[in-house]
Amino acid sequence: MPQLHDSGNRGHAGASASAHAGDFARIFGIETEYGLSVTGASRPCDAGQVAMMMFQPIMQRVRSTNTYLANGSRLYLDVGAHPEYATAEARTPGDATLADAAGERIMRDLALDAQRRLRATHGPDATVHLFKNNADSAGHSFGCHENYLVRRGVPLGRIETQLLPFLITRQILTGAGRFDGARWHVTQRAAFVDETVSSATTRSRPMINTRDEPHADPESFRRLHVIIGDSNRSQWATTMKLAMTHLVLCLMEWGARHDQRTGLESIALADPVEANLAVDAEGPRAALRLADGTTASPLALQRRVLGAVLDFVRARRDEVAASFDGDPLTTLDDVLGDWELGLESLAYDDEGTGIADRADWACKRRFAARLAGRGAVDPMRLAQLDLDYHDIANGALFASLERHGMMRVLCDEAQVDRAVTTPPAGTRAVLRGAFVTRAESAPVTWSCDWTQLRLTEPVKDEVMLLDPFDAVGDARYARLLALVDGARGVGADMTV
Amino acid sequence: MPQEQHSQSMAHDEQHENDAVIGAGTTHEAAADAAIDDLDAILDDIGAVLETNAEEYVSGFVQKGGQ
Repeated sequence: MPQLHDSGNRGHAGASASAHAGDFARIFGIETEYGLSVTGASRPCDAGQVAMMMFQPIMQRVRSTNTYLANGSRLYLDVGAHPEYATAEARTPGDATLADAAGERIMRDLALDAQRRLRATHGPDATVHLFKNNADSAGHSFGCHENYLVRRGVPLGRIETQLLPFLITRQILTGAGRFDGARWHVTQRAAFVDETVSSATTRSRPMINTRDEPHADPESFRRLHVIIGDSNRSQWATTMKLAMTHLVLCLMEWGARHDQRTGLESIALADPVEANLAVDAEGPRAALRLADGTTASPLALQRRVLGAVLDFVRARRDEVAASFDGDPLTTLDDVLGDWELGLESLAYDDEGTGIADRADWACKRRFAARLAGRGAVDPMRLAQLDLDYHDIANGALFASLERHGMMRVLCDEAQVDRAVTTPPAGTRAVLRGAFVTRAESAPVTWSCDWTQLRLTEPVKDEVMLLDPFDAVGDARYARLLALVDGARGVGADMTV
Repeated sequence: MPQEQHSQSMAHDEQHENDAVIGAGTTHEAAADAAIDDLDAILDDIGAVLETNAEEYVSGFVQKGGQ
Protein backbone atom coordinates (compact mmCIF):
# COMPACT_ATOMS: atom_id res chain seq x y z
CA MET A 1 0.00 0.00 0.00
CA PRO A 2 1.18 3.51 -0.70
CA GLN A 3 2.18 5.77 2.13
CA LEU A 4 -0.37 8.46 2.63
CA HIS A 5 -0.21 11.96 3.88
CA ASP A 6 -1.27 12.76 7.39
CA SER A 7 -4.70 14.08 6.57
CA GLY A 8 -4.73 16.41 9.57
CA ASN A 9 -2.55 19.22 8.25
CA ARG A 10 -3.51 19.51 4.64
CA GLY A 11 -5.66 22.59 4.38
CA HIS A 12 -3.43 23.60 1.47
CA ALA A 13 -1.81 20.40 0.34
CA GLY A 14 0.35 22.28 -2.12
CA ALA A 15 2.16 23.99 0.71
CA SER A 16 3.62 20.80 2.18
CA ALA A 17 6.21 18.74 0.33
CA SER A 18 5.01 15.33 -0.81
CA ALA A 19 5.82 12.28 1.32
CA HIS A 20 6.97 10.71 -1.94
CA ALA A 21 9.45 13.43 -2.88
CA GLY A 22 12.35 11.15 -1.90
CA ASP A 23 11.27 7.68 -3.06
CA PHE A 24 10.51 6.01 -6.42
CA ALA A 25 6.72 6.13 -6.30
CA ARG A 26 5.21 7.34 -9.55
CA ILE A 27 1.90 8.45 -11.03
CA PHE A 28 1.16 7.20 -14.56
CA GLY A 29 -1.52 8.23 -17.01
CA ILE A 30 -2.33 7.57 -20.68
CA GLU A 31 -4.38 9.86 -22.94
CA THR A 32 -5.62 8.22 -26.11
CA GLU A 33 -7.21 9.97 -29.08
CA TYR A 34 -9.24 7.67 -31.30
CA GLY A 35 -9.83 8.04 -35.03
CA LEU A 36 -13.26 7.47 -36.53
CA SER A 37 -14.69 6.45 -39.89
CA VAL A 38 -17.83 4.87 -41.35
CA THR A 39 -18.13 2.36 -44.18
CA GLY A 40 -21.15 0.72 -45.81
CA ALA A 41 -23.57 3.59 -45.18
CA SER A 42 -26.44 3.86 -47.66
CA ARG A 43 -26.09 7.63 -47.78
CA PRO A 44 -23.31 10.08 -46.91
CA CYS A 45 -22.33 10.24 -43.29
CA ASP A 46 -19.31 12.00 -41.87
CA ALA A 47 -17.19 11.12 -38.89
CA GLY A 48 -18.21 14.25 -36.98
CA GLN A 49 -21.84 13.17 -37.11
CA VAL A 50 -20.98 9.70 -35.80
CA ALA A 51 -18.79 11.15 -33.05
CA MET A 52 -21.77 13.20 -31.86
CA MET A 53 -23.93 10.07 -31.96
CA MET A 54 -21.37 8.25 -29.85
CA PHE A 55 -21.52 10.99 -27.24
CA GLN A 56 -25.33 11.37 -27.26
CA PRO A 57 -25.78 9.09 -24.21
CA ILE A 58 -23.11 11.14 -22.39
CA MET A 59 -24.83 14.40 -23.40
CA GLN A 60 -28.11 13.09 -22.04
CA ARG A 61 -26.50 12.14 -18.75
CA VAL A 62 -24.27 15.15 -18.03
CA ARG A 63 -25.24 17.72 -20.71
CA SER A 64 -21.67 17.86 -21.96
CA THR A 65 -19.29 15.97 -24.23
CA ASN A 66 -16.61 16.30 -21.58
CA THR A 67 -16.96 14.32 -18.38
CA TYR A 68 -15.27 12.25 -15.71
CA LEU A 69 -16.37 8.68 -15.05
CA ALA A 70 -16.84 6.50 -12.00
CA ASN A 71 -13.41 4.93 -12.61
CA GLY A 72 -11.83 8.37 -12.28
CA SER A 73 -11.01 8.74 -16.00
CA ARG A 74 -11.89 11.60 -18.34
CA LEU A 75 -13.98 10.96 -21.45
CA TYR A 76 -14.42 13.70 -24.01
CA LEU A 77 -14.93 14.66 -27.60
CA ASP A 78 -11.91 16.55 -28.85
CA VAL A 79 -11.74 19.01 -31.74
CA GLY A 80 -12.04 17.29 -35.11
CA ALA A 81 -14.35 14.49 -34.00
CA HIS A 82 -11.71 12.70 -31.92
CA PRO A 83 -13.21 10.71 -29.08
CA GLU A 84 -10.58 10.87 -26.34
CA TYR A 85 -10.05 8.93 -23.15
CA ALA A 86 -7.58 9.89 -20.42
CA THR A 87 -6.99 7.24 -17.79
CA ALA A 88 -7.17 8.19 -14.15
CA GLU A 89 -3.94 8.45 -12.15
CA ALA A 90 -2.37 5.02 -11.70
CA ARG A 91 0.37 3.95 -9.28
CA THR A 92 1.80 1.15 -11.42
CA PRO A 93 2.29 0.40 -15.12
CA GLY A 94 -0.16 -2.53 -14.93
CA ASP A 95 -2.85 -0.38 -13.32
CA ALA A 96 -2.44 2.15 -16.13
CA THR A 97 -2.66 -0.60 -18.77
CA LEU A 98 -5.87 -1.90 -17.20
CA ALA A 99 -7.29 1.64 -17.09
CA ASP A 100 -6.40 2.04 -20.78
CA ALA A 101 -8.02 -1.31 -21.61
CA ALA A 102 -11.14 -0.10 -19.76
CA GLY A 103 -11.05 2.98 -21.99
CA GLU A 104 -11.02 0.75 -25.09
CA ARG A 105 -14.02 -1.14 -23.73
CA ILE A 106 -15.96 2.05 -22.96
CA MET A 107 -15.18 3.51 -26.40
CA ARG A 108 -16.11 0.26 -28.16
CA ASP A 109 -19.48 0.15 -26.39
CA LEU A 110 -20.19 3.79 -27.31
CA ALA A 111 -19.24 3.10 -30.95
CA LEU A 112 -21.37 -0.04 -31.26
CA ASP A 113 -24.31 1.71 -29.62
CA ALA A 114 -23.97 4.58 -32.11
CA GLN A 115 -23.76 2.02 -34.93
CA ARG A 116 -27.08 0.47 -33.90
CA ARG A 117 -28.77 3.87 -34.11
CA LEU A 118 -26.93 4.77 -37.32
CA ARG A 119 -28.23 1.65 -39.05
CA ALA A 120 -31.81 2.84 -38.58
CA THR A 121 -31.13 5.79 -40.89
CA HIS A 122 -28.09 4.71 -42.94
CA GLY A 123 -28.84 1.11 -43.76
CA PRO A 124 -28.02 -2.25 -42.16
CA ASP A 125 -24.43 -2.32 -43.45
CA ALA A 126 -23.34 0.99 -41.91
CA THR A 127 -20.23 0.12 -39.92
CA VAL A 128 -18.41 2.33 -37.43
CA HIS A 129 -14.63 1.99 -37.25
CA LEU A 130 -12.94 3.37 -34.17
CA PHE A 131 -9.18 3.36 -34.59
CA LYS A 132 -6.77 3.18 -31.69
CA ASN A 133 -3.91 4.28 -33.90
CA ASN A 134 -2.17 7.56 -34.70
CA ALA A 135 -2.54 8.32 -38.39
CA ASP A 136 -5.28 8.48 -41.00
CA SER A 137 -4.97 7.93 -44.76
CA ALA A 138 -4.45 11.63 -45.51
CA GLY A 139 -1.46 12.14 -43.24
CA HIS A 140 -3.23 13.63 -40.23
CA SER A 141 -1.83 12.41 -36.96
CA PHE A 142 -3.30 12.21 -33.48
CA GLY A 143 -1.74 11.16 -30.28
CA CYS A 144 -1.31 8.73 -27.45
CA HIS A 145 0.26 10.76 -24.68
CA GLU A 146 1.91 9.31 -21.61
CA ASN A 147 2.05 11.31 -18.39
CA TYR A 148 4.60 10.70 -15.67
CA LEU A 149 4.91 12.55 -12.38
CA VAL A 150 8.63 13.33 -12.16
CA ARG A 151 10.71 14.74 -9.31
CA ARG A 152 11.61 18.31 -10.06
CA GLY A 153 15.32 17.83 -9.31
CA VAL A 154 15.86 16.28 -12.75
CA PRO A 155 17.28 19.09 -14.93
CA LEU A 156 15.36 19.75 -18.14
CA GLY A 157 18.56 19.51 -20.17
CA ARG A 158 18.89 15.84 -19.21
CA ILE A 159 15.34 15.16 -20.39
CA GLU A 160 16.65 15.97 -23.87
CA THR A 161 20.08 14.33 -23.66
CA GLN A 162 19.25 11.22 -21.60
CA LEU A 163 15.51 10.53 -21.65
CA LEU A 164 14.74 11.45 -25.26
CA PRO A 165 17.31 9.06 -26.83
CA PHE A 166 15.78 6.31 -24.71
CA LEU A 167 12.25 7.22 -25.84
CA ILE A 168 13.28 7.31 -29.50
CA THR A 169 14.98 3.92 -29.36
CA ARG A 170 12.46 2.12 -27.11
CA GLN A 171 10.26 1.99 -30.21
CA ILE A 172 12.12 -1.13 -31.36
CA LEU A 173 10.15 -2.88 -28.60
CA THR A 174 7.05 -0.73 -28.20
CA GLY A 175 6.42 0.78 -31.66
CA ALA A 176 2.95 0.02 -33.01
CA GLY A 177 4.13 -0.27 -36.64
CA ARG A 178 2.37 1.08 -39.70
CA PHE A 179 2.04 0.19 -43.36
CA ASP A 180 1.29 3.40 -45.21
CA GLY A 181 0.42 1.80 -48.54
CA ALA A 182 4.01 1.91 -49.79
CA ARG A 183 6.34 0.98 -46.95
CA TRP A 184 6.55 -0.28 -43.38
CA HIS A 185 7.24 1.94 -40.41
CA VAL A 186 8.29 0.74 -36.96
CA THR A 187 6.16 3.49 -35.40
CA GLN A 188 2.87 5.29 -35.97
CA ARG A 189 4.10 8.67 -34.85
CA ALA A 190 7.70 9.30 -35.87
CA ALA A 191 6.83 10.92 -39.18
CA PHE A 192 4.61 13.44 -37.38
CA VAL A 193 6.84 14.93 -34.68
CA ASP A 194 9.37 17.50 -35.72
CA GLU A 195 10.67 19.08 -32.52
CA THR A 196 12.34 17.62 -29.47
CA VAL A 197 11.29 19.27 -26.21
CA SER A 198 8.81 22.11 -26.08
CA SER A 199 6.27 23.69 -23.81
CA ALA A 200 3.73 24.21 -26.61
CA THR A 201 1.51 21.59 -28.28
CA THR A 202 -0.83 23.34 -30.65
CA ARG A 203 1.56 24.82 -33.20
CA SER A 204 4.69 22.75 -32.82
CA ARG A 205 4.78 18.97 -32.66
CA PRO A 206 7.32 18.12 -29.98
CA MET A 207 8.35 14.65 -28.77
CA ILE A 208 8.14 15.71 -25.14
CA ASN A 209 6.03 18.52 -23.73
CA THR A 210 7.13 20.22 -20.56
CA ARG A 211 4.20 22.58 -19.98
CA ASP A 212 4.26 22.92 -16.25
CA GLU A 213 0.98 21.53 -14.95
CA PRO A 214 2.09 19.04 -12.33
CA HIS A 215 -1.44 18.46 -10.91
CA ALA A 216 0.49 17.87 -7.69
CA ASP A 217 2.78 19.60 -5.21
CA PRO A 218 4.71 21.91 -7.59
CA GLU A 219 7.67 22.18 -5.20
CA SER A 220 8.40 18.48 -5.59
CA PHE A 221 7.06 17.45 -8.97
CA ARG A 222 6.62 18.28 -12.59
CA ARG A 223 4.45 16.39 -15.06
CA LEU A 224 6.28 14.94 -17.99
CA HIS A 225 4.05 14.72 -21.05
CA VAL A 226 5.47 12.23 -23.56
CA ILE A 227 4.05 12.76 -27.04
CA ILE A 228 6.41 10.60 -29.08
CA GLY A 229 4.77 7.26 -28.19
CA ASP A 230 2.32 5.17 -30.24
CA SER A 231 -1.16 3.92 -29.42
CA ASN A 232 -0.55 0.24 -28.76
CA ARG A 233 -3.00 -2.60 -29.13
CA SER A 234 -0.52 -4.93 -27.43
CA GLN A 235 -1.08 -4.82 -23.67
CA TRP A 236 2.50 -6.00 -23.24
CA ALA A 237 3.77 -3.00 -25.21
CA THR A 238 1.61 -0.58 -23.22
CA THR A 239 2.85 -2.00 -19.93
CA MET A 240 6.47 -2.15 -21.06
CA LYS A 241 6.62 1.38 -22.41
CA LEU A 242 5.38 2.72 -19.08
CA ALA A 243 7.54 0.41 -16.97
CA MET A 244 10.77 0.93 -18.93
CA THR A 245 10.25 4.71 -18.92
CA HIS A 246 9.51 4.59 -15.19
CA LEU A 247 12.81 2.80 -14.51
CA VAL A 248 14.81 5.27 -16.61
CA LEU A 249 13.14 8.14 -14.74
CA CYS A 250 13.97 6.47 -11.38
CA LEU A 251 17.62 6.31 -12.46
CA MET A 252 17.61 9.96 -13.56
CA GLU A 253 15.89 11.10 -10.35
CA TRP A 254 18.43 9.19 -8.28
CA GLY A 255 21.29 10.72 -10.29
CA ALA A 256 19.92 14.23 -9.76
CA ARG A 257 19.23 13.64 -6.07
CA HIS A 258 22.75 12.37 -5.34
CA ASP A 259 24.59 14.34 -7.99
CA GLN A 260 25.77 11.09 -9.59
CA ARG A 261 26.34 10.06 -13.19
CA THR A 262 23.53 7.88 -14.52
CA GLY A 263 25.44 5.99 -17.19
CA LEU A 264 23.11 7.53 -19.77
CA GLU A 265 25.47 10.41 -20.59
CA SER A 266 26.80 8.61 -23.68
CA ILE A 267 23.44 8.14 -25.44
CA ALA A 268 22.84 11.80 -26.36
CA LEU A 269 21.92 12.04 -30.05
CA ALA A 270 23.42 14.44 -32.57
CA ASP A 271 20.00 15.02 -34.16
CA PRO A 272 16.98 13.52 -32.36
CA VAL A 273 14.52 14.26 -35.18
CA GLU A 274 16.75 12.54 -37.74
CA ALA A 275 17.33 9.61 -35.35
CA ASN A 276 13.59 9.25 -34.74
CA LEU A 277 12.95 8.96 -38.48
CA ALA A 278 15.82 6.48 -38.87
CA VAL A 279 14.43 4.19 -36.15
CA ASP A 280 11.02 4.42 -37.80
CA ALA A 281 12.33 3.47 -41.25
CA GLU A 282 15.21 1.12 -40.48
CA GLY A 283 14.42 -0.43 -37.11
CA PRO A 284 16.84 -1.99 -34.59
CA ARG A 285 19.98 -1.65 -36.75
CA ALA A 286 19.58 1.94 -37.97
CA ALA A 287 22.81 3.97 -37.75
CA LEU A 288 22.20 6.86 -35.35
CA ARG A 289 24.68 9.71 -35.03
CA LEU A 290 25.50 10.47 -31.41
CA ALA A 291 26.44 13.82 -29.89
CA ASP A 292 29.95 12.55 -29.15
CA GLY A 293 30.62 12.00 -32.86
CA THR A 294 30.24 8.21 -32.83
CA THR A 295 27.47 6.11 -34.36
CA ALA A 296 25.31 3.50 -32.64
CA SER A 297 22.20 1.46 -33.43
CA PRO A 298 18.90 1.73 -31.51
CA LEU A 299 19.58 -1.79 -30.31
CA ALA A 300 23.01 -0.79 -28.96
CA LEU A 301 21.57 2.30 -27.25
CA GLN A 302 18.80 0.25 -25.64
CA ARG A 303 21.42 -2.18 -24.37
CA ARG A 304 23.32 0.75 -22.83
CA VAL A 305 20.15 2.02 -21.17
CA LEU A 306 19.23 -1.43 -19.87
CA GLY A 307 22.79 -1.89 -18.57
CA ALA A 308 22.62 1.41 -16.67
CA VAL A 309 19.19 0.51 -15.28
CA LEU A 310 20.40 -2.94 -14.17
CA ASP A 311 23.43 -1.40 -12.39
CA PHE A 312 21.15 1.10 -10.70
CA VAL A 313 18.58 -1.50 -9.62
CA ARG A 314 21.22 -3.95 -8.35
CA ALA A 315 22.21 -1.57 -5.53
CA ARG A 316 18.62 -0.80 -4.41
CA ARG A 317 16.41 -3.61 -5.64
CA ASP A 318 13.88 -3.49 -2.77
CA GLU A 319 13.36 0.24 -3.05
CA VAL A 320 12.75 0.08 -6.80
CA ALA A 321 10.68 -3.12 -6.58
CA ALA A 322 8.41 -1.33 -4.08
CA SER A 323 7.33 1.04 -6.86
CA PHE A 324 5.70 -2.00 -8.53
CA ASP A 325 3.84 -3.07 -5.36
CA GLY A 326 0.27 -4.00 -6.18
CA ASP A 327 0.86 -4.04 -9.96
CA PRO A 328 -1.85 -6.39 -11.28
CA LEU A 329 0.04 -7.34 -14.46
CA THR A 330 3.79 -7.27 -13.92
CA THR A 331 6.74 -7.03 -11.53
CA LEU A 332 10.16 -5.39 -11.59
CA ASP A 333 11.76 -8.74 -12.47
CA ASP A 334 9.27 -9.40 -15.28
CA VAL A 335 10.00 -6.01 -16.82
CA LEU A 336 13.79 -6.34 -16.61
CA GLY A 337 13.59 -9.91 -17.93
CA ASP A 338 11.31 -9.03 -20.84
CA TRP A 339 13.43 -6.00 -21.71
CA GLU A 340 16.59 -8.10 -21.84
CA LEU A 341 15.00 -10.98 -23.77
CA GLY A 342 13.41 -8.56 -26.21
CA LEU A 343 16.76 -6.98 -27.04
CA GLU A 344 18.46 -10.39 -27.26
CA SER A 345 15.88 -11.65 -29.71
CA LEU A 346 16.24 -8.49 -31.84
CA ALA A 347 20.00 -8.99 -31.92
CA TYR A 348 19.30 -12.46 -33.26
CA ASP A 349 16.63 -11.41 -35.77
CA ASP A 350 16.01 -7.73 -36.39
CA GLU A 351 12.73 -8.45 -38.23
CA GLY A 352 11.39 -9.04 -34.71
CA THR A 353 10.23 -12.65 -35.11
CA GLY A 354 11.25 -13.33 -31.49
CA ILE A 355 8.93 -10.59 -30.17
CA ALA A 356 6.17 -10.97 -32.78
CA ASP A 357 3.75 -12.31 -30.15
CA ARG A 358 4.05 -9.12 -28.08
CA ALA A 359 5.38 -6.15 -30.07
CA ASP A 360 2.74 -4.62 -32.36
CA TRP A 361 5.12 -3.70 -35.18
CA ALA A 362 6.70 -7.15 -35.27
CA CYS A 363 3.34 -8.92 -35.00
CA LYS A 364 2.04 -7.02 -38.03
CA ARG A 365 5.14 -7.74 -40.06
CA ARG A 366 5.11 -11.43 -39.27
CA PHE A 367 1.47 -11.62 -40.32
CA ALA A 368 2.16 -9.68 -43.53
CA ALA A 369 5.16 -11.91 -44.34
CA ARG A 370 3.04 -15.04 -43.94
CA LEU A 371 0.32 -13.55 -46.05
CA ALA A 372 2.88 -12.73 -48.74
CA GLY A 373 4.03 -16.33 -48.54
CA ARG A 374 0.64 -17.30 -50.05
CA GLY A 375 1.00 -14.98 -53.00
CA ALA A 376 1.18 -11.30 -53.83
CA VAL A 377 -0.84 -9.04 -51.54
CA ASP A 378 -2.36 -5.81 -52.84
CA PRO A 379 -0.65 -2.97 -50.89
CA MET A 380 -4.05 -1.34 -50.41
CA ARG A 381 -5.32 -4.55 -48.77
CA LEU A 382 -2.33 -4.51 -46.46
CA ALA A 383 -3.00 -0.86 -45.55
CA GLN A 384 -6.61 -1.81 -44.81
CA LEU A 385 -5.54 -4.72 -42.59
CA ASP A 386 -3.15 -2.40 -40.76
CA LEU A 387 -6.11 -0.12 -39.97
CA ASP A 388 -8.36 -3.07 -39.11
CA TYR A 389 -5.74 -4.19 -36.53
CA HIS A 390 -6.39 -0.89 -34.71
CA ASP A 391 -10.21 -0.83 -35.07
CA ILE A 392 -11.51 -1.52 -31.57
CA ALA A 393 -15.18 -1.48 -32.64
CA ASN A 394 -15.39 -3.80 -35.65
CA GLY A 395 -11.80 -4.87 -36.33
CA ALA A 396 -11.25 -8.60 -36.82
CA LEU A 397 -7.49 -9.04 -37.18
CA PHE A 398 -6.19 -8.16 -33.73
CA ALA A 399 -8.75 -10.30 -31.88
CA SER A 400 -7.96 -13.18 -34.20
CA LEU A 401 -4.21 -12.84 -33.60
CA GLU A 402 -4.90 -12.92 -29.85
CA ARG A 403 -7.18 -15.94 -30.16
CA HIS A 404 -4.60 -17.92 -32.09
CA GLY A 405 -1.73 -17.16 -29.74
CA MET A 406 0.00 -14.75 -32.10
CA MET A 407 -0.43 -11.86 -29.65
CA ARG A 408 -0.14 -12.13 -25.89
CA VAL A 409 -3.03 -11.10 -23.65
CA LEU A 410 -2.10 -9.65 -20.26
CA CYS A 411 -5.45 -8.45 -18.88
CA ASP A 412 -8.25 -10.93 -18.31
CA GLU A 413 -11.85 -9.92 -18.98
CA ALA A 414 -12.78 -9.75 -15.29
CA GLN A 415 -9.91 -7.31 -14.64
CA VAL A 416 -11.06 -5.07 -17.49
CA ASP A 417 -14.70 -5.26 -16.32
CA ARG A 418 -13.58 -4.09 -12.92
CA ALA A 419 -11.43 -1.27 -14.32
CA VAL A 420 -14.45 0.10 -16.23
CA THR A 421 -16.14 0.97 -12.94
CA THR A 422 -13.29 1.04 -10.39
CA PRO A 423 -10.49 3.65 -10.18
CA PRO A 424 -6.85 2.54 -9.99
CA ALA A 425 -5.95 1.87 -6.33
CA GLY A 426 -3.93 4.16 -4.13
CA THR A 427 -4.41 7.47 -5.96
CA ARG A 428 -6.74 10.45 -5.79
CA ALA A 429 -8.69 8.77 -8.61
CA VAL A 430 -10.34 6.79 -5.80
CA LEU A 431 -11.66 10.06 -4.32
CA ARG A 432 -12.78 11.42 -7.70
CA GLY A 433 -14.43 8.12 -8.63
CA ALA A 434 -16.41 7.95 -5.38
CA PHE A 435 -17.56 11.56 -5.83
CA VAL A 436 -18.65 10.99 -9.45
CA THR A 437 -20.44 7.74 -8.60
CA ARG A 438 -22.44 9.33 -5.79
CA ALA A 439 -23.08 12.65 -7.54
CA GLU A 440 -24.42 10.93 -10.66
CA SER A 441 -27.13 9.19 -8.65
CA ALA A 442 -28.08 12.28 -6.62
CA PRO A 443 -30.21 15.32 -7.56
CA VAL A 444 -27.17 17.62 -7.57
CA THR A 445 -25.23 19.72 -10.08
CA TRP A 446 -21.56 18.92 -9.98
CA SER A 447 -18.35 19.22 -11.93
CA CYS A 448 -14.76 18.17 -11.48
CA ASP A 449 -11.34 18.15 -13.05
CA TRP A 450 -8.06 16.44 -12.20
CA THR A 451 -7.49 18.45 -9.00
CA GLN A 452 -10.92 19.71 -8.01
CA LEU A 453 -14.38 18.40 -7.07
CA ARG A 454 -17.22 20.91 -7.14
CA LEU A 455 -20.87 20.93 -6.07
CA THR A 456 -23.00 23.84 -7.32
CA GLU A 457 -26.62 22.76 -6.58
CA PRO A 458 -28.40 22.49 -4.16
CA VAL A 459 -25.45 23.85 -2.16
CA LYS A 460 -22.06 25.17 -3.18
CA ASP A 461 -18.92 23.43 -1.99
CA GLU A 462 -15.59 22.43 -3.47
CA VAL A 463 -12.48 20.50 -2.55
CA MET A 464 -9.00 20.68 -4.01
CA LEU A 465 -7.17 17.36 -4.40
CA LEU A 466 -3.55 18.39 -4.82
CA ASP A 467 -1.88 15.15 -3.75
CA PRO A 468 -2.23 12.46 -6.43
CA PHE A 469 -1.01 9.84 -3.93
CA ASP A 470 -3.85 10.56 -1.49
CA ALA A 471 -6.62 7.95 -1.78
CA VAL A 472 -8.13 8.68 1.64
CA GLY A 473 -9.10 12.36 1.57
CA ASP A 474 -9.39 14.92 4.31
CA ALA A 475 -12.23 16.29 6.41
CA ARG A 476 -13.31 18.70 3.65
CA TYR A 477 -13.62 15.80 1.22
CA ALA A 478 -15.70 13.86 3.74
CA ARG A 479 -17.95 16.91 4.14
CA LEU A 480 -18.44 17.22 0.38
CA LEU A 481 -19.47 13.56 0.09
CA ALA A 482 -21.84 14.03 3.04
CA LEU A 483 -23.46 16.97 1.21
CA VAL A 484 -23.98 14.79 -1.89
CA ASP A 485 -25.41 11.97 0.19
CA GLY A 486 -27.60 14.47 2.06
CA ALA A 487 -29.00 15.73 -1.24
CA ARG A 488 -29.72 12.18 -2.28
CA GLY A 489 -31.62 11.66 0.98
CA VAL A 490 -33.62 14.85 0.41
CA GLY A 491 -34.36 13.79 -3.17
CA ALA A 492 -35.68 10.45 -1.98
CA ASP A 493 -37.93 12.16 0.57
CA MET A 494 -39.34 14.47 -2.07
CA THR A 495 -40.36 11.62 -4.35
CA VAL A 496 -42.21 9.81 -1.54
CA MET B 1 -2.16 -12.16 -4.55
CA PRO B 2 -2.54 -11.82 -8.31
CA GLN B 3 1.13 -10.92 -8.42
CA GLU B 4 2.32 -14.42 -7.42
CA GLN B 5 0.07 -16.01 -9.94
CA HIS B 6 1.49 -13.70 -12.53
CA SER B 7 5.16 -14.34 -11.78
CA GLN B 8 4.44 -18.01 -12.35
CA SER B 9 2.97 -17.36 -15.76
CA MET B 10 5.84 -15.00 -16.59
CA ALA B 11 8.37 -17.68 -15.65
CA HIS B 12 6.56 -19.98 -18.02
CA ASP B 13 6.64 -17.33 -20.72
CA GLU B 14 10.32 -16.77 -20.28
CA GLN B 15 10.97 -20.44 -20.79
CA HIS B 16 8.74 -20.34 -23.82
CA GLU B 17 10.64 -17.35 -25.14
CA ASN B 18 14.01 -19.06 -24.66
CA ASP B 19 12.65 -21.96 -26.64
CA ALA B 20 11.51 -19.59 -29.35
CA VAL B 21 14.92 -17.99 -29.61
CA ILE B 22 16.62 -21.37 -29.86
CA GLY B 23 13.87 -22.58 -32.17
CA ALA B 24 14.55 -19.80 -34.61
CA GLY B 25 17.81 -21.51 -35.51
CA THR B 26 16.99 -25.21 -35.13
CA THR B 27 13.37 -26.15 -35.72
CA HIS B 28 12.47 -23.51 -38.24
CA GLU B 29 10.46 -25.82 -40.49
CA ALA B 30 8.27 -27.18 -37.71
CA ALA B 31 7.54 -23.63 -36.58
CA ALA B 32 6.65 -22.63 -40.13
CA ASP B 33 4.18 -25.55 -40.43
CA ALA B 34 2.40 -24.48 -37.26
CA ALA B 35 2.31 -20.92 -38.57
CA ILE B 36 0.54 -22.00 -41.77
CA ASP B 37 -2.27 -23.54 -39.73
CA ASP B 38 -2.55 -20.32 -37.74
CA LEU B 39 -2.72 -18.30 -40.92
CA ASP B 40 -5.67 -20.33 -42.28
CA ALA B 41 -7.56 -19.81 -39.04
CA ILE B 42 -6.85 -16.09 -39.10
CA LEU B 43 -7.86 -15.77 -42.76
CA ASP B 44 -11.18 -17.41 -41.84
CA ASP B 45 -11.66 -14.89 -39.03
CA ILE B 46 -10.97 -11.86 -41.21
CA GLY B 47 -12.87 -13.12 -44.26
CA ALA B 48 -15.45 -10.33 -44.05
CA VAL B 49 -12.72 -7.68 -44.02
CA LEU B 50 -11.07 -9.22 -47.08
CA GLU B 51 -14.37 -9.04 -48.98
CA THR B 52 -14.76 -5.28 -48.58
CA ASN B 53 -13.27 -2.69 -50.91
CA ALA B 54 -9.84 -1.95 -49.41
CA GLU B 55 -9.38 1.36 -51.21
CA GLU B 56 -12.72 2.73 -50.02
CA TYR B 57 -12.01 1.56 -46.52
CA VAL B 58 -8.58 3.21 -46.40
CA SER B 59 -9.41 6.45 -48.19
CA GLY B 60 -12.60 6.80 -46.16
CA PHE B 61 -10.58 7.32 -43.01
CA VAL B 62 -9.71 11.00 -42.98
CA GLN B 63 -9.60 12.73 -39.64
CA LYS B 64 -9.59 16.48 -39.20
CA GLY B 65 -8.09 18.43 -36.33
CA GLY B 66 -6.81 16.62 -33.28
CA GLN B 67 -4.08 17.07 -30.65
